[in-house]
Amino acid sequence: MSMEVDRMLARGGDLLNPILIKESRQSLKSRQFVVTFALVLIFAWGWSILGVSWLGPDALYSNPGGGMFAGYYLILAFPLLVIVPFGAFRSLASEQEDRTYELLSITALSPRQIVRGKLGSAVAQMLVYLSAIAPCLAFTYLLRGIDAPTILYVIFWTALGSLGLSMVSLLIGALTSQRHWQVVLSVALIVGLLLVFWIAAVIVFDWMFFASEASFSDPVFWQINAALLTGCLAYFALVYEAAVAKITFASDNRSTRLRGIMVAQHVLFAGWMTQAWIYAGGESEVVLVFVSFAMVHWFVMGAMMTGETTQLSQRVRRSLPQSFLGRALLTWFNPGPGAGYLLAVCGGLGAVVLAMLAVTAKDLYPLPTSSGWQSGESLVVVAFAMLAVCYLVIYLGAGLFVLRWLRRLGHSGLLLTLLIHIMLVLVGCGMPVVIQMMSPDWYRAGYSMLQVSNAMWTLAHVGDGTTLPLEAPILLVILPVAAVVVFVLNLPEIVREVRFVRVARPVRVAEEDAELAAKLVPPPRPKQISPWDVINE
Amino acid sequence: MNQRRPMIELRGLHRFFGTTRAVDNISFEVHRGQVFGYIGPNGAGKTTSMRILATLDLPDAGDALVDGFSVVDDPDRVRQRLGFMPDYFGTYANVNVREYLDFFARAYRLRGRDREAAIRRVMEFTRLEGLAEKPIDGLSKGMKQRLCLGRAMIHDPTVLVLDEPAAGLDPRARIELREMIRALADRGTTVLISSHILTELGEMCDVVGIIEQGRLVAVGSVEEIQKQGQTPRNLVDVRLLDAAESLGVWLAERSDVSQLRVDGQTARFLHAGDPVAEAALLKAMIEAGFRVVAFGSRRRTLEDVFMQVTQGLVQ
Repeated sequence: MSMEVDRMLARGGDLLNPILIKESRQSLKSRQFVVTFALVLIFAWGWSILGVSWLGPDALYSNPGGGMFAGYYLILAFPLLVIVPFGAFRSLASEQEDRTYELLSITALSPRQIVRGKLGSAVAQMLVYLSAIAPCLAFTYLLRGIDAPTILYVIFWTALGSLGLSMVSLLIGALTSQRHWQVVLSVALIVGLLLVFWIAAVIVFDWMFFASEASFSDPVFWQINAALLTGCLAYFALVYEAAVAKITFASDNRSTRLRGIMVAQHVLFAGWMTQAWIYAGGESEVVLVFVSFAMVHWFVMGAMMTGETTQLSQRVRRSLPQSFLGRALLTWFNPGPGAGYLLAVCGGLGAVVLAMLAVTAKDLYPLPTSSGWQSGESLVVVAFAMLAVCYLVIYLGAGLFVLRWLRRLGHSGLLLTLLIHIMLVLVGCGMPVVIQMMSPDWYRAGYSMLQVSNAMWTLAHVGDGTTLPLEAPILLVILPVAAVVVFVLNLPEIVREVRFVRVARPVRVAEEDAELAAKLVPPPRPKQISPWDVINE
Repeated sequence: MNQRRPMIELRGLHRFFGTTRAVDNISFEVHRGQVFGYIGPNGAGKTTSMRILATLDLPDAGDALVDGFSVVDDPDRVRQRLGFMPDYFGTYANVNVREYLDFFARAYRLRGRDREAAIRRVMEFTRLEGLAEKPIDGLSKGMKQRLCLGRAMIHDPTVLVLDEPAAGLDPRARIELREMIRALADRGTTVLISSHILTELGEMCDVVGIIEQGRLVAVGSVEEIQKQGQTPRNLVDVRLLDAAESLGVWLAERSDVSQLRVDGQTARFLHAGDPVAEAALLKAMIEAGFRVVAFGSRRRTLEDVFMQVTQGLVQ
């Protein structure tokens, strides 16, 4: 019987991620885990004893559950929001420092399995801490003063936060293998995690003591939670794919999945903003907020995509789309700065189209809750969206142009790319402000055409009010023309990437694939030609 | 498996770090069951080219193939066939020998009995059976080297790339390592090995490649390298009864003598020619009045060849 159980456990173990097994074995023997776990238990017991002795007989008559929960929450949230994510960071960072990562990377484990293994290990630790505190949480429920949905709700979001922070920590751990950068990043990460822990505690206490009971019965509360949850999942997927891409072999495709998630995020955000827009009775501010966030999203994503290498490896070229439709629709998901630029521009244009749809829908089918737009408000929304996408095209395009020139000099890299884009935005937005501030004539003046390159002030100026400002017609000529010029300047880069076509597999690869396929296909069964043929099974 | 296809093939491999040409147009082939010795001074480009072969780095130009698969375009297929032992240990804390091998066996997708069999095979081969439950931190350097060799061969690769596997080992461990590598080659495994201990490489390698400043300056068997572009040369030691300066002057005029070094009563030089020519040289010396008390000739070792073809240049 025990042999059978052993065998079953061994078979089950084979299905588990090897990293999860290794890290669990290491953790059980590590002093750090034993000390942390013991401290959590000691603090939990300590708080229980202190709380009960302090309450005395009042524990039976008052409702002290909420207060006790607050203490237990702090004891649980610290390991969940600080120790577990930092452990995930150290786990990957130490692999890089000790160079075991190199040994790991040349095994049959895929980068995806490596990240999942590390994340699984973080989840296992999280569950251990949760199980240690679970009896205490049940105790707070029995004390009254806090209900089960509130406890579950808080723990759910904290656990989700721990998972998200662990994922971000893994990405940070994958960023560099240089020790000095690891030290800088680890300090920054600890500060960030402590800040998150503090913010989480403030939010939870504030919500628990002032709003929890009223919230659960409000449908909007659940809508906001659903929006937050899907948003968190979308960003989790993005960070996960980014961490995987960071440790993937350089000749592999490290971009297409990330681009797919960027588009999915855009669609998700558009969906929730549409819901918010309908709920708000078609307020134009909701559309402006949507367009602004969409442009920021595509600018940040575009800034990263334009930093990709211009070379497409033979390995990636083997899986490029081949059909006309595939090439027309999916080429922009291929790795490369030009394709990335165009994808970001298309994303921005998509937001503009949605804004225009909102304007049209509002005019044609007024919502029952609508207060009605004032005259000119539609024009403001359209102008705002048009100008916003023009800025996106100009700034991203200018960055891409500079990067193309820098690449010829042999400079490249994600950090440089981000630096170039940030510098361009800072110069474009900051310089006119500085000039205006230094000019005695313009010092007190409001918006002027000097600020044409200042995206933030210009958009705020155009979007602020129900009618278009006087400068709008000029802006609507200058900025689109500038956007077209910048786009045309970058066209050669885009065209060069569009020209990449699928290449055949090398002969040796095709040979091995055929061998493997032949092994998978069962040998043909002998046919019975006459009744006297005997076929041995 | 195509027997004629080289198991390792480097084609015009280049790797630059800034202005440094770490690997500069290197090409060679290693066939099934061969042991290829990769020799060169520190910073010559051995480790860089081995890392490219192990799919840990990418070349700037050229390609490296393992069993016909490109390390650039098909690293996953290369990794199935290749075991790499770097010049560092790469061990984990709080893990014992068995757990370490078990982890890498799982990472190479070995399941159930196959995994157990692979661990047993490797522990037997590297003679680590008695240390299965010992924490890695407590192992000696030699034991760790064996463990790392075991890790590199846990998935039974057809190609092994070993970067300085004998560094820091005691003489006994070195001899054992040499025997292990020879046994692997006899089983058909192709081995690419770098080492500074040239005498050992000379004994175990079928083919040798000498690299300097990122360039492959010689490749072939030790004998082939000796013969490259010149008549065979032997190292000759002559000892006279009195000072050898005049012998040095006399020898320097001869065209069949090179790399002459005179020290007190002895002269050492390379002589181009067969034993008959050596006998004639000795006779000529005596006839010229030199009082020779010892005349010895030996074939050049790998060390001699290395010193001849390299110039001690570093980047």
